[in-house]
This record gives sequence, C-alpha cells and structure tokens, in this order.
Amino acid sequence: MVQNHLISMNLGLSAYFLSSLAIAHDPIFSIGPHVLYKNGVEIATELHGEQSEHSENTLALEFAYGITGDWAVGTEIPYVIAEDENGTGDLNLYSKYRFWRFDTLGVQQSAAVLLRIKFDTGKNEVVNQSTDGLLGFTYGYESIKWYRWISARYQYIGEASNNLKRGDKIFADIAFGFRYSTPVYRKPDTVWYLELNTEYGMKAKQSNIELENTGGRQAFLSPGVFLTLRNFAIKAGVQIPIYQDLNDSQQKDDYRYKVALEWHL
Amino acid sequence: MNSQFIAFFTIFLIHTNLYAASMQYDMRVDGLACPFCAYGIEKKLLKTEGVNSVDINIEKGIVIVKTKIGVSFSEHQLNQLFHDAGFTYRSMKQRELR
Repeated sequence: MVQNHLISMNLGLSAYFLSSLAIAHDPIFSIGPHVLYKNGVEIATELHGEQSEHSENTLALEFAYGITGDWAVGTEIPYVIAEDENGTGDLNLYSKYRFWRFDTLGVQQSAAVLLRIKFDTGKNEVVNQSTDGLLGFTYGYESIKWYRWISARYQYIGEASNNLKRGDKIFADIAFGFRYSTPVYRKPDTVWYLELNTEYGMKAKQSNIELENTGGRQAFLSPGVFLTLRNFAIKAGVQIPIYQDLNDSQQKDDYRYKVALEWHL
Repeated sequence: MNSQFIAFFTIFLIHTNLYAASMQYDMRVDGLACPFCAYGIEKKLLKTEGVNSVDINIEKGIVIVKTKIGVSFSEHQLNQLFHDAGFTYRSMKQRELR
C-alpha cells in the first residue's frame, strides 16, 4: 500500500520536476529555448499541483543566472504540500544552452538543449528518494503575433534506496502562443497559450521485477496565459487530460495547474 | 546697437545650449518580439556611461537611445552588447537633439 502510494505519487512529482524552469516566453508546461541575457538574474516563485484522488501542491523558489547571452544556469528549491505530509522537496540544478538563433525583423527562431539534475535532498516522505536526470531539446519560433514551439525530453529516474526503480519518462510537446495586440515597451503585454503535452512512462521495477500498476501514456491539452509588465511576469495554465492509458489500476489525473511569478534583474 | 547685441547674444546662447543638449541613436535590432525579453537591452544600455534614456519600438525593431553629447558607439561594441542581450544588431542612425 505504501509502495503503491509512493509509486503513484511519483507520477505527479516526476511531471512537475520536468515542467518547471520556464524562462520568459517559454511554454508553461513544456520547455522552450529562452535563456537570460548575459549577467541577468531571474527570481521566480511558482505554485504547481495536481488533482486526482489525492491532491498535491508544490511551492518552488527558483533562481537563474545568464552566464552568456546563450547559456543560463539555475536552481530550484521546492516545498511539497501533500494531503498527509509537507516538507522540503529535492533540490534541482539545471543548465540550458541555446546553440542556434536566427533573428529577423520582429521574429526570433532558436533551439536549445537542457540538462537538469534532481538530487535526493528532500524530506523522504514527500520525494522520490532518488537522483534523477533530464535531457531536453527544444525549438521555438517567436514573432510579434504568433509563437510556436516543439520539444522532446527524456527523464531518467534513479534507483531509490529501497531497490525501487521508478520508470523513466519520455515527453513530447507542441505549443502555440498568440498575442492579440501589438506589444509596446513598458506597457502590459498578454500572450495566450495552448499546448499539447504528451507523456510516456515506463514501468517501475522492484528488485528487477516489473510492477504492473505503473507506467502508461497520457496526453493533456493545456491553455494558459502570460502577462508581463517590463521586467515582471505572471504565468498561469491548466493541464486538462484528454487521453490517459495507464497500466493496471492507477489513479488518473483530473487536472494539473501552474501559476508562476517571474522577476528579471 | 546695445539692444541688438543683447538680442544676438541671447539667441546665440539658446542656440548653443540646445545644440549641445544631447544625441539620439536609433539602432535597428532583429529578433525583438516581446517587451519582457527586451528588458535586457535597456539594462545593458543604461549601464553605458553617458546614456540618459532607452526606449524600444518592438514593432519596428528600433532601440532609441538618448545620450549626452560626446557619447559614441562602435559597431563592435553594439554587436557584442546586443548579442549578450540575446538579439542581433543591424544598423544605427544618429542625430543631434536640439
């Protein structure tokens, strides 16, 4: 029972570990190629969560720094609020490198790779108890009117101390953004988002034996909005499941949400 | 004669003052698509000695920089500055503000 709860909880934690760290006009639930300007600092706070039979929310504090105009590093410190336990989550470190950029008047196309590592530093009752890694690729087209992104991510989940190896996950996403009015510098700006997020989770293994009630496929349609005023931004969105094919008898998600405040210094 | 001299001198002073007031540089920049992302440009330019103000026309891709007289920018400096901010510098026009 405890194991089942831990494994099912892991599905949520894994998803959020991946979905955070959006910089500027990156999609809300997937990744984009945005980095920070050289010597720029981002301070962000984020509340995200999921609702199924159980609810779980995470409040995270994030810092990012632009080493160059194409390379950013950052860290995230989460605090998990579950129904029966609260506590500090696992510390994340990440690095994003924009290896290609093509600029024309009012349009920027770019591509980036992302590496993220989650260390087993959190309170045991609210974390996966493993060290995990994520490798991602993303391409983005951003214009004054329209935005579009594609991304793919692979998440490796390490073995926990109780010989439980949760299944790795693969994510593929496509996202669109639309700005209704022409943006004016120092004036409020709004971009509307719609994302299609797909996830494939492999089965977990305990002492090398596959656990049937783990892994599966999910797809979400995710509307969202991004509001900015100069160097301050608010980002919010909800993931609505449109397809869930989970192995055996796992809890299905009702929805997931995210609200983030971002400040660039 | 005396009043003519005073009038001429006053006009000369006003003219000289205004002439020497400031410079405006209009920098054409590619890749500008959102105001939030453009903040890095303002931050970097305002750190440059003699820059008084920065405004950005996102739609036209123009960064408008007002400086004190005597401030100038090299192509190399602007290429680097805009690259560090995440954009591509293209060209510049300059004029004196009277």
